[in-house]
This record gives sequence, structure tokens and C-alpha cells, in this order.
Amino acid sequence: MKLRVIIWFASFFGAISRWSKRGSGVMMTGRIILKLQPGAVSALSKNRKVILISGTNGKTTTTSLIYSALTIKEKVVSNYTGANMFAGLAAALSKNLSAPMAALEVDEMVLPWAIKQTNPEMVVLLNLGRDQLDRLSEVRFVAQKWKDALAGLPKQCLILADADDPFVVWAALDWKNVLWFSSGARGHIDASTCPSCGVVLQWSQDKAHYSCRCGFAKPDAQWVLSADELHGYQGQAVKVVSGIPGRAALSNAARAVVVASYFGVSLQDSSAAISKVTSVDGRFAKLKIGNTDFRLLLSKNPASWRETLATSASGPTSVLLVVNANTQDGKDTSWLWDVDFAPLKQRFVVVTGDRRLDVSARLTVNEIPHHLVVNESAAATLLGKVEADLIASYTAFHRLAKLVAR
Amino acid sequence: MTFTIVHLLPELLGTYGDRGNIEILSWRLKAREVPHEVITIGVGDTIPTSADLYLIGGGEDDAQIAALELLSKRNSLQSALKNDAHIFAVCAGFQILGTQFPASGDRIVQGLGLVAIETVSAKHRSVGELLSRPTVPIEMLTGFENHGGQTRFLDELQPLGHVLSGIGNGQGSNVDGLVTSQIVATYMHGPAFARNPDLADWILSRKLGALPPLSAPIFNQLHDERVSKAK
Repeated sequence: MKLRVIIWFASFFGAISRWSKRGSGVMMTGRIILKLQPGAVSALSKNRKVILISGTNGKTTTTSLIYSALTIKEKVVSNYTGANMFAGLAAALSKNLSAPMAALEVDEMVLPWAIKQTNPEMVVLLNLGRDQLDRLSEVRFVAQKWKDALAGLPKQCLILADADDPFVVWAALDWKNVLWFSSGARGHIDASTCPSCGVVLQWSQDKAHYSCRCGFAKPDAQWVLSADELHGYQGQAVKVVSGIPGRAALSNAARAVVVASYFGVSLQDSSAAISKVTSVDGRFAKLKIGNTDFRLLLSKNPASWRETLATSASGPTSVLLVVNANTQDGKDTSWLWDVDFAPLKQRFVVVTGDRRLDVSARLTVNEIPHHLVVNESAAATLLGKVEADLIASYTAFHRLAKLVAR
Repeated sequence: MTFTIVHLLPELLGTYGDRGNIEILSWRLKAREVPHEVITIGVGDTIPTSADLYLIGGGEDDAQIAALELLSKRNSLQSALKNDAHIFAVCAGFQILGTQFPASGDRIVQGLGLVAIETVSAKHRSVGELLSRPTVPIEMLTGFENHGGQTRFLDELQPLGHVLSGIGNGQGSNVDGLVTSQIVATYMHGPAFARNPDLADWILSRKLGALPPLSAPIFNQLHDERVSKAK
């Protein structure tokens, strides 16, 4: 069957899936395409400039911002709603065959496959940290997979890699065509040993630099985000404005500006386009449940919880935490104990989700008073007519984000 | 008398929330008004040998070897055991106490040799809920295991639990962890003391004697929920 016919056929079933409210239809479309033509991702990447974006945190936001910046100039296909495994990539690439560019978010473990299939022009490596340890295994292991995969990149490919993250640096440092990016992040919860030789990694007092006796060290960055000013190695400078709250979002906005600049969009134009994006795939969207106006925040692992708690601290007093432990959340909730919930002190805290007892035990020891309820509706009844932040783990977040879209 | 707990190398061995065990012990002692102190040992610190209880958590291969190097210095843990200290070790921390454990690149690393166990690479990683019937007088044990090693007793040793679901030490042993007069070890993360308040109190009482009851129902609810889901 011709690929165009397969795509038409798969999209038809995807639409049925969407109409029958079984899902967004993306996964259905992608699965059918790959079933009928396993080489579809490779075929659909030909004659296209493909950018792959991967990392533990910030994939969806960064991809969406890159998409916003690039669409000023070109038609772009993207999976910025987070379907970042095999079927999601196939579905995204099939959306608009005339689009000359593709910005694809890729799951960390799928990156090696995506590199082989798409022959990317650019790979954006954000960060690597502990996340879903039951599925992704340990951080060093993921970094090794990346390192092996990056060796197979097409020669002209450019990597934009985070200089602040020792695992990302180790994975990318053998590649000649690397641009290092730094947003001044300090320290790394998982990088106590050198990814290269395994001995204890030496961190500077302020945790801004690291080095090892084997020679492994933080590289000088070509692109540096300092406060909200992005500076390039050739004297480029632009003020980055993020419509999405938080330091991590600002740093991802800066990366998107850098990426777009290599595809012909000026720093100023992409920065302006990016500043208009205020919500990505439900993140920071508003959702009314009962009389309570919730703002949705996604949090998946210790690093993202720390970031989210800091961002939420300037939000409303009331906060609802929803934690599940399904496959996509990670089935092990031990990580809750790697998060310091102290920023929730002085706030009105309500807890629900399948694993609310785990959260409650953690908060009890953290000395954060809180209320346990059976679901979000019960939380809304308890909270009443107020604004509240709702911080949810992956599966709870996506269930709630769908309600926003409708 | 201040009860002293030493948290060994959490930067290296703390990948799976095991630092929670320290916070929980401290919280349970505080709730009972038992004077206590937690000493956190970082990479450059000297390990005290006169503390009451030492905790070692889980971690990745390289971190496990780096931790072993630091723990081997001056035989600190051997001295602590001579001084009547107790040790609670989880996962990589458990493996370190034995005679050998595996590392990346098919390496075999010599452990501290404090207990007669050895760990070898398992064919498949053991990942999932771990439920076991304890060999000591406490309630059922629940945790989450995630390890690539299987641990074998080289001597007649008492396991911490008989596995009802999950893998534990592996090698067809159907047991998890071990108990000696001074050491308790397990493959249970969760962390172990969050899900098993009984285990936390039992370990404390081995050093402190009988403890007054503590009303903290959330930990018992969590324990019961996890046990019923794992069955």
C-alpha cells in the first residue's frame, strides 16, 4: 500500500477514535501507520529538516515553544501534545506532508530509535535526572544509551546540549558539532559520581561547576541565559520573555530561541512569538471543578516537583496535590521522599490521587498540615469558591487536562 | 543519653528515596520525646564509630563502588559494630555489606565482608512490589524493589522475610534481606520505614528497649493498603 493511502486510512480510524471520545486519535493513527509500514517514520522524515528534543523534564514545553518560533517562517509538524514514543512520532510526521520541518519531542529511551529513523538536523538535549526508575532504570544507564546513539548521528547534525547537566555533557561530548547551553542551574541530585570514570565528581562550592580528576569537566557554554538575557558566543543578545511561569520554562524558552535562530528565525522574532505562549498541553491551564478555579501544574519526578513547588509558591494559598502511580507515573513512589515539601508550609494543602496515603505519610514527616480527600470533586467541595493550584502527576494531569480542552 | 543515627553517604546511596528512612526515624523519636541526633556523612567526612545506628541506602553501580571505597577507609563500620552499633542497609547498601557484588562491565567488586553474603548479577532486573512475611515479631513487610543483583547466603543466616510476592534476594531463595544481632538489611525501598512503621520501631527498640506506643495512623493505613494491593 502506498504511504499516502496508509496515512489516510490510519487518520480515518484516528478520527473515529477521537469522535467516540476514546482518546485524541493520535496514538491510534500512529499505531496503524507503523503496523502497515514499519519504516514510515524514516520515509516521512526524508527531505525534511527534523529536530529531536529529549530529556527528563521540559520536553513538551520546549518542543511547543520551538514549534511556535519556527512556524513564523515555515510549515512545521510536531507532536507538541506529548505523544513522544514510536506511534506519536509516526502520527506527528503524517500530519502535513508538505511541511518542510518537524520538531519532535522524543522519550529518552526512544531517542536512539528516533535518531536512526529521522536523520535529524538538530538534537536538543535538555537534562537527565531520576524519573520513573522502574521503567527508565538508572540515570547513568539512560546517558549511556544516548551516548551510543549520538555516535550514529549524521555528520552535519548539530546538538544543542545542556552544559549544566553532567549526564547530558557526558552523553554529547564526543560529538564535534555541539553547542553548549547554560541557564546557570546549580548542582544535580544524581550526579555525585563522574559519569565518565565513576569516581566522586567534584562540585564547586556554589555548585555551578563540576570537574573530575579524569579530565571530565563542565564545558564553556556558547549560549548562556543570565537572568532573562540570552547571550550567544558571537555577541548575540536578546531578552527572553516566557508566557509560561517558572525558571525552567524561561530556560526552555531560551533554548527554543537558540534552536529557531539556526533555522533562520531572528532571536527577536522567536522571542516575541514564544512570549505569547501561556499554556502548553494543559500546563498552567485553568479548570473549574465545583466552585474552585484550579490552575493545572504537572509534576513528575523530584526535579520537576522542586521546580513546580517553587513556581506555585507565588500562586494562590490553596493547593491540591494529586499523585498516582500508574505505568506512566512510575510505579514506585519512593521519590516522594526525595522532595522537600517545605515550600507548602503556610499554604492550605489538600491531597488526593491513588497514592494519597504515600503523599500523606511524606507530608506528615515533613510537618505539612494537610487534608486527605477521595477525589478532585471532594477537594473542590472542601476548598469552595477560591483559586487553587492543582499539582498532579502524569496520568492525573492528563485526565484533567482533557477536561480543559473540552 | 542522646540516640545517635548516622546517615551514610546519602549523595551516593540515596537514589530511591531511602533518605526518607532517616527522616521517619527522627520523626518517630521526636514524637516520643527521645533525645536524638542525626549525623549526615558526606563524601569528605570522617565516619564516627561510636553512634547507635547507621543507615545505608540504595544507589547506582558507580556510586555504590565510590561509597564502598569511602566506607572501607579506617574500617569505620567494623569499629562501629565492635562498639555495639546497629546497621540498617537497603539494596546497594545491603550488597556492600557482603563479600562481593557485581558492577557495570561485568566487574565483580569485593565488598566490606561484614556479613556472609555474596551478590551476583541476575538475568533480569527485579522491579516491583515486594511483600514478605517477617521472621521477626512484626507485621507483614511491604516495599518496592528495583535491583539487578541476586544475593546468596554463604552461611546459615536469618532472612528478614519470606517472600510472598516479588523477588527479594533471588536465586530461588524466596527470602528478602537478612537479620543478625546487629544488622538488618532488605531490598525494600518505599522507603521501608514509611510503609513499615513496625519495622522502624522494632529496629529502634533493639537498641533503645521497649518504646512507648505512638499514634500515627497514616503509616499503618499506608502499610495496610500496600499489603492488600500486593496480595
